Amino acid sequence: MENLTRVTIDFDTSHLIFPIMIGVILSLLGLAILIRDRAAIMSSGQMWATTFRDMDKPRFFGALAITIVYFLAMVPVGNIWPNAGYGFLICSVPYVIALGLLFMHSRSRAAIGSMLAVAIIAPPVVWWLFSEVFFLTLP
Amino acid sequence: MDLLAHLLDPWFIGLIFGGTLMGIVFGAIPGMTATMAVAVCLPLTFSLGLVNGLALLLSLYVGGITGGLVPAILLGIPGTPSSITTTFDGFPMAKRGEGEKALKIAIIASVAGGLVSLVALFFFAPVLAKFAIKFSYVEKFLIIFFALTVMAALSKDMLLGIFSGVLGIFLSLIGTYDITNGGNGHTRLIPPGMDYWLDGGFALLPVLIGIFGVTVILEEAELGMPRGQSLKDIEVGPHSRFSFSIFKGQTLNLLRSGSIGTFVGILPGVGGSAASILSYTAAKTTSRHPERFGKGEPAGVIASEAGNNGLTGGALVPLLSLGIPGDSTTALLIGAFALQGIQVGPLFISQNIDTWNAMITAMVISNLVMLVTMFFAIRWFAMVIAVPKQILYPFILMMCVIGAYTINYGIIFDVWTLLIFGVFGWLMVKLKLEVAPFIIGFILGPSAEIYFVKSLESFGDPFIFFTKSWIAAFLWVLIIASVVMSVILSRRNRSDGAMRT
Repeated sequence: MENLTRVTIDFDTSHLIFPIMIGVILSLLGLAILIRDRAAIMSSGQMWATTFRDMDKPRFFGALAITIVYFLAMVPVGNIWPNAGYGFLICSVPYVIALGLLFMHSRSRAAIGSMLAVAIIAPPVVWWLFSEVFFLTLP
Repeated sequence: MDLLAHLLDPWFIGLIFGGTLMGIVFGAIPGMTATMAVAVCLPLTFSLGLVNGLALLLSLYVGGITGGLVPAILLGIPGTPSSITTTFDGFPMAKRGEGEKALKIAIIASVAGGLVSLVALFFFAPVLAKFAIKFSYVEKFLIIFFALTVMAALSKDMLLGIFSGVLGIFLSLIGTYDITNGGNGHTRLIPPGMDYWLDGGFALLPVLIGIFGVTVILEEAELGMPRGQSLKDIEVGPHSRFSFSIFKGQTLNLLRSGSIGTFVGILPGVGGSAASILSYTAAKTTSRHPERFGKGEPAGVIASEAGNNGLTGGALVPLLSLGIPGDSTTALLIGAFALQGIQVGPLFISQNIDTWNAMITAMVISNLVMLVTMFFAIRWFAMVIAVPKQILYPFILMMCVIGAYTINYGIIFDVWTLLIFGVFGWLMVKLKLEVAPFIIGFILGPSAEIYFVKSLESFGDPFIFFTKSWIAAFLWVLIIASVVMSVILSRRNRSDGAMRT
């Protein structure tokens, strides 16, 4: 009887035991959700249509696009001056300006001025603090 | 002696001061939370060392939880989820011109709740840790299993809560089965072509920063960056005479609410809103004048704020004694420990007694800093609500990038992880998945794997999880109790919903 309950773990395949177990549990839970919420899932197209209709598309997708460009640009720019963190510094200024302008509602001179001041002052201060004071690696 | 050295260290005190103030600012701005404050400042701890780094992060935590009371009272908008019940009585008080009075009541209640929880932390965590040292892999696995069931039990939807937690575990297993923890060093679950990037899996901190930083900003962008409040909207109130006599007869309320908050904090993944709701409900049901609650009753503000600040010490109990975070913010603290190469668990307090004392000291000082600064400068803090988001959010995203990039000493994939999990967090909200169980699952997944596999390797018997010791049996009782409770709660919620419709 004791032999029936004994399990032997093969060390070479031990990395698969837990992921397989969790994968099976996750699938069963997913199936349970599918069965329980089938009506809601069937009509989820409506939910997404409403989400996309109601969302502020320029700000949402604009923020995503600007952020992707920021991430893509940081390393190549930084590679021009290796290990100096200039990629972060040079890319952060236009990033903060672009995102600030995108998020702004009324683009008055005063609002743009304060935003520009932050965009020009904050990245160099942050770069100096982390790169020069704390000696952290920046892109 | 070490403690005295910390107290005399201007850097240590300065970080607590700055951290508390910054935490209050984050908490006071609706949509920004203590968790976000900790996430943004995490990279700073790289160079600060463990004690100073923790002093900063814990102060941000204390300040962040408290800062939420400002918009809750003055605008009726909870600055953080945990101040939801502060709006019930604080906002009516502000509307009748008693804003400053309500704010000062809330501040004192917050400090009292925070100190109650610190006493509990100081005495309870070492005892629990000493007990937990005896745990084998089996009990450790069951503790994690218990944490996940409690977390799922208190989710809005139990099934989705469990699914979210298990999904978190699954994603945490991507990459190498770590040799340093006894694994075989082989990789798994890596999509084709991603071996180079995902060999070590998704790094914890970019995942956390993405979900707590980027997701919030994407949600706000989706809503078109709702206009913030202008200074005109913030009226602290001309008729706000505060007197300590308001607290006469409120000692029990303070102690009870602080204790409830502490207890809720000890339960993994439950969160501050549950602490304040339970404290508020207890205060209302035991009050001689329950009809006054919701109409500007100071006892309601006291209960809510003492409750949510009680969470701060409570959430650190399971973290420092068992290595299991009590809430999302303490989950981030695990990252701070990891950055310094320290593993939190049962041995942490006994092996790092200086750090432990410094942590308690930092939280006490932070509470006092908060009391003094907010009590005397509350009108200035109220203005924080009006800081424009178009200035704040780009700055926060920039800080998130630094946090993600520096975590592993300069890996750009970690920055992309930030964005991936920022979008993933946004999708989770849309799909009604639960963020807290996901995060706790993601953090505890690798440990759960090690404990589970090692238990089977050591004992060769799957029934060992039931038969190992009386502790294992007791943990099963707790697990079954939490599952039963979750079913009852779920049914009650459903019947409440049906009655409302």
